[in-house]
Amino acid sequence: MATYDWLFDSTGLRDWCDGEGGSSAPMSMADLMSQAGKAPDTSVWQTPFPSMDALNDACASFPQARDLTRGLERGFLDIKDSLSVVLDPLTQPLSWALEAALWLFQTTPWFVMIPVLALIVAVISRSARLTGLILAAFGGLAFINYYDYAMQTLAIITVCALIAVLFGVPVGIAMSRSDRLERIMIPVLDMLQTLPPFVYLIPLIFLFSVTEPKLYGIAVILYAIVPVVRLTNLGIRMVDPEVIEAADAFGMTRRQKLYGVQIPLALPNIMAGVNQTIMMSLAMVVIASMVSAPGLGVLVLRGIRNLELGVGLVAGFGIVLLAVVLDRSTKAALARVNAVQKG
Amino acid sequence: MTDAKISIRNLFKIFGEAPQEALAHAKAGMHKAELLEAHRHVLGLRDINVDMQEGEITVIMGLSGSGKSTLIRHLNRLIEPTAGKVVVNGENILDYGDARLRRLRRSNMSMVFQKFALLPHRSVMENVATPMIVEGAKKNDYETEAAKWLDRVGLQGQGAQYPHQLSGGMQQRVGIARALTSNSDIMLMDEAFSALDPLIRTDMQDLLLELQRELRKTIVFITHDLDEALKLADHLVILKDGEVVQQGEPQHILMHPGDPYIVDFIADINRARVLRARTVMTKTTDPVPVDSEVSATATLEEVITQGGGNADLTFRVMNRDRQVGVLPMRDVLAALVATQGVERTEAPAA
Repeated sequence: MATYDWLFDSTGLRDWCDGEGGSSAPMSMADLMSQAGKAPDTSVWQTPFPSMDALNDACASFPQARDLTRGLERGFLDIKDSLSVVLDPLTQPLSWALEAALWLFQTTPWFVMIPVLALIVAVISRSARLTGLILAAFGGLAFINYYDYAMQTLAIITVCALIAVLFGVPVGIAMSRSDRLERIMIPVLDMLQTLPPFVYLIPLIFLFSVTEPKLYGIAVILYAIVPVVRLTNLGIRMVDPEVIEAADAFGMTRRQKLYGVQIPLALPNIMAGVNQTIMMSLAMVVIASMVSAPGLGVLVLRGIRNLELGVGLVAGFGIVLLAVVLDRSTKAALARVNAVQKG
Repeated sequence: MTDAKISIRNLFKIFGEAPQEALAHAKAGMHKAELLEAHRHVLGLRDINVDMQEGEITVIMGLSGSGKSTLIRHLNRLIEPTAGKVVVNGENILDYGDARLRRLRRSNMSMVFQKFALLPHRSVMENVATPMIVEGAKKNDYETEAAKWLDRVGLQGQGAQYPHQLSGGMQQRVGIARALTSNSDIMLMDEAFSALDPLIRTDMQDLLLELQRELRKTIVFITHDLDEALKLADHLVILKDGEVVQQGEPQHILMHPGDPYIVDFIADINRARVLRARTVMTKTTDPVPVDSEVSATATLEEVITQGGGNADLTFRVMNRDRQVGVLPMRDVLAALVATQGVERTEAPAA
């Protein structure tokens, strides 16, 4: 006898319960014990919550909790093929971009690559100290033979962060112009941000083949796009309403207002978003090594799997170094934007 | 209808969720406090009718919350009215579509803001040239024009600076130069000088009057400062709780306040410095024995100074070498306390 028998008896559903023949679930310990004729004494204090499993005990036709997850899985698998037909061609360019970037970063010889990186940083930051830091960081990584891994990681981040910004900024602008879109997007962004990174990977593994770079590319982009969307939206919404009013009063069109006033004034916030996006894609690219993303993350994973303490720690340190370099460079660019705008 | 440059007719603005419903109540005679109490709608403006003449400075004055900033934003439709008409150059601008409205804002009206509202990422020169840049002008096209107006407001050679490098007073000069660059015949000034300190404010008022003598624009000026209003206004409109309490020539309002609210309002001003000889004088062109001559536009303060404190003098009031009236010193002194006098003479009549 289960606790909730009375529910089905009193509502006249008993026939439906028994109609489809016994429980499909394996026997639980409680079932075994009751079959052995020693039904445990249940007091009121042990009344179970009327959960799916408890109701299934009383009525065999009632679905169990595991049917829910299995149903979800089946549903996903059913639409998977048609989803792939749509998503595969749409995301194929991402694979190409990642493959091309990986090829470019790895085939460019170190004595070209490191100076080019230093030059880029020198141009955007105008800081000799920062340029020195870049040279030292990559020189150090190359010296301990982690150069290739670092370049793979950098290649993935470059592509993913670029795409995240390319999509994130327009989405943020659209959000700033429509309160309705903002109301819809904010929960989506909240979910993307709080969903544990591993969870992104699960449906992606079903959708795409693990050998394809777009699998981890999408995971990284989804995770990293949030801050740039949020901060673009926020930055544009925070532009001084008096300045917007002045733009209107002088008869600017919406386009003139957007490109001439809103985006330039929101630029410090947008740049802060870009910085966060780069940082988050770095965080995700490490986790994505579980689904075949190359780079320093692979070494961290090796450290965990094979208990190679040294490899794991050094690779982790290399990631920190990469993070510092990327963070300082983007912050230097941000500081220059700020310096132009206000003093 | 009228030959006024701008005329506002039966303008209502109600803020809230169902303004049209609340509008019916406002039209039926509800005022700001009752409407808020009974229907949770804020009455911004109630039945405004104002004519603004070409080439004059119309000052709209009121305390905060009186609806003056709301009113000026109806003139270029930064705020849409709930009901009524705004006629500019004979056309109701509320009938305008987006494109026509932009043309109005670009070529007929310019605006100066309380907090300057300059574009912080653009140089002073680019800010001044904003109206031309909006029209698609390139640097070569706008440079001379913008430089001309920068010179005119006293900012020679500051074009390469950025707004944050200038003081408040200088920033507002940029704001005024920007408004002038558009070559519009109407200038809207929303508390343009309120954020400046008193000395600079006086400078800016003088600058505005000087520009106005030369350019003869139709200026709509918002302020909460009565002294400023009296100094600038050709036509003064006093707002309270979204309604016009009194409007007319400022000297006339001073001598004949039509409402206890205005009596309170003008109680604290220095009348000697604001009232002019022509307002207080007795009109006559007959030659009478007088002690001295004063200009019609002289303030009473100047008249008293000229009289050297002697209370028995009589002045001939002159307008361009012609006598327009006489002014005994007794009337000058009486006018200095005239507010109470008006009340006293009106009280028995009522």
